[in-house]
Amino acid sequence: MTRTVGVFIVAALAAACAPSSSDPKPAVPAARTAAQPLRFSMEWVAATNGGVASVEVRGLDSALLRRLEQPDMTAERWARVLAVFAESSEATPSSPLPAMLGAHSVAGGVVRFTPRFPLEPGVRYRAVFNPSALAGQRAKRAGPFTLVHFVPPRDLSPTTTVSAVYPSANVLPENLLKFYLHFSAPMSRGGIYEHIKLLDSAGKPVDLPFLEIDEELWNPDRTRLTLFIDPGRIKRGVKPLEDIGPALAEGRFFTLVIAATWKDAAGAPLKEEFRKAFRVGPQDREPPDPAKWSLAPPAAGTREPLVVGFNKPMDHALASRMLRVTSPGGRAVEGDVVLSDFERRWSFTPDEPWAAGPHQLVVQTTIEDLAGNNIGKPFEVDQFERVERRLTTSSVSRAFEIR
Amino acid sequence: MKPIRSLLTLLACGAVAGAAFAASPTAGMNEGKADLKSVGPIAFGPEGVLFAADTKSAAIFAIATGDTAPASGSPQLKVEAINVKLGALLGTAADQLTIDDLAVNPVSRNAWLAVTRGRGTEAAPVLVRVKSGGVLEAVSLDKVKFSKADLPNPPAEAQPGKKGNPRLESITDIVFLDGNVLVAGLSNEEFASTLRSIPFPFQAVNKGAAVEIYHGAHGAFETRSPVRTFVPFKVGNEPSLLAAYQCTPLVQFPIKELQPGAKIRGKTIAELGNRNRPLDMIVYNKDGKEWLLLSNSSRGIMKISTDNIDKAESITTRVADKQGQTYQTIEAWTGIEQLDKLDGGHALVIRREGSAQNLEVLALP
Repeated sequence: MTRTVGVFIVAALAAACAPSSSDPKPAVPAARTAAQPLRFSMEWVAATNGGVASVEVRGLDSALLRRLEQPDMTAERWARVLAVFAESSEATPSSPLPAMLGAHSVAGGVVRFTPRFPLEPGVRYRAVFNPSALAGQRAKRAGPFTLVHFVPPRDLSPTTTVSAVYPSANVLPENLLKFYLHFSAPMSRGGIYEHIKLLDSAGKPVDLPFLEIDEELWNPDRTRLTLFIDPGRIKRGVKPLEDIGPALAEGRFFTLVIAATWKDAAGAPLKEEFRKAFRVGPQDREPPDPAKWSLAPPAAGTREPLVVGFNKPMDHALASRMLRVTSPGGRAVEGDVVLSDFERRWSFTPDEPWAAGPHQLVVQTTIEDLAGNNIGKPFEVDQFERVERRLTTSSVSRAFEIR
Repeated sequence: MKPIRSLLTLLACGAVAGAAFAASPTAGMNEGKADLKSVGPIAFGPEGVLFAADTKSAAIFAIATGDTAPASGSPQLKVEAINVKLGALLGTAADQLTIDDLAVNPVSRNAWLAVTRGRGTEAAPVLVRVKSGGVLEAVSLDKVKFSKADLPNPPAEAQPGKKGNPRLESITDIVFLDGNVLVAGLSNEEFASTLRSIPFPFQAVNKGAAVEIYHGAHGAFETRSPVRTFVPFKVGNEPSLLAAYQCTPLVQFPIKELQPGAKIRGKTIAELGNRNRPLDMIVYNKDGKEWLLLSNSSRGIMKISTDNIDKAESITTRVADKQGQTYQTIEAWTGIEQLDKLDGGHALVIRREGSAQNLEVLALP
């Protein structure tokens, strides 16, 4: 950060307030004699360890320092002596704004306020030192003294893009359950749904197609958003479907549009708008069946990938993690997964060469296809009895031999 | 954020599932830093214990707030542009924070806010107490008594690759009920509605059991729509939960069925029409009757009658709109983003007016 320094002499009130000082002056050592007025300097300093910046008041006389070291200096009393006020462009409410959270200290003749949180770009921080708040001080007539530090706004040149959208196919089932939006850098949270639209073939936005969840379903890095189609617009016989119809309709064309107005974690908009055009195919109400998948075992002693071909595209996130391979000893084989061919091909490259012998491909039954059907359990269950009878095992296996 | 009075009714009734409540809710807590990585829904339990959902850590924290001094008189909790004041307190711009939840401590009647400072990856969770007179106080979690219940997050044990775990389970609501913390969640991968019941005080081995709730809707059984918000309520003599789903039905099921691994048959008691996104729900008593108040993203606030709720038939036929329990929309309550019950006659709300969010006390309708 740039240093912002002010030198104060009480009698003359020579307070140098330097907002966004790009030409910082060094702190002036305070000259102190008993006959002279109180003279001190105030400075915004960056933490040496790159941590939170703090405000320092130097050059105070020893009587004042001793007063500030008294045990009766409660947080409330400190706040009246030295406080920082964060000011941004919002309309100020009629009642006064509270001071910024932080900790006060006196050490080595320096009085310091360290904000609890880092200073933010685009915010004006007004430090206020008011020694007259201390009863019995000779500086009673003086102050308060303020020193403003303005943190310049961030460079908001757009760099972040939508890096991928899954499902990646151009034909999607009418009862599609979700999209995954992948971004090239972390994104900001809050109010995201206003940036996402689903347009019909006439370019008209589909009314409320997505399940808008306040929590927003991000991955921990904030680089992937899960976007559910409102299940009320998918399930047969439920109210939204009866009233406003399905979000997607078979045989028609739609475009998913991600507006460039969406801000990344740094606050910059996306580099460009993103569009995914697709055609809607028939509904898929058939649970995935691993018995219908192709499986090509590689040769023993090689690190050739094991390739599994799904008979239809599978959910990108779940297919990436819900299949695993166990060795002849029953242990999990370590390796890397790649999904390709519009999420119809799963390739697994082991870290070590394949051992000869019987292996298993183990699939969790909670894996989903594009319509949210699980193994042994369609997305829609029409009768309670059928629910009771559904598979209770959590995984199914397919044996294969490595030779 | 749920009315404690209803909980007490249920406790008195005794016909509830789960372990009996231990002598002291803070027994077994450790003192130290409650290291929340994020904060979502919050709810009060007994003796000032605050439950805070941390989606990023996949955990529920129980924090002994010490906020146990009973309220005296009517609290003055109106705070104009509370988002701007929170921004000042936390040293940032108001548009860089989110108010994720509001809960009234039923003992002290102080308002507690779950706030997230920042919208990027460095976002920090903060708990803020609003005392009578509208004073905002950020609560330090550096040295508090707390305990933590980790929620299972499957991929860690099942992922063959070496990438980080991208799965998170967002917690949409939590309620404390008779020694159990009930947690409704939604994963960012599998589409499944889970309701988890975790015994409190938290035990190392018992992470609680998830139940699946099925409810009739027009001849089909809804199995997966996520629960948005829920509230304990006595239906006839049956302690129950009323759950509002993401897509509009209001469903009732008996609490005694909340057993580990259970598949529960819920009853759809109201269809509140489409385009709804329920936000918060409270129960209150007025003119000798019990009412539900449901805030909603597009239909404003709904005041729902509970008359004859015990005799209600499950809605299983196709309906035009708004079937089941009758309700009226309270037109004057606009822009409600957070709702909790303050006392017998008042609700506390966060209400949006332009860019400002105001904390307001409103007389219950």
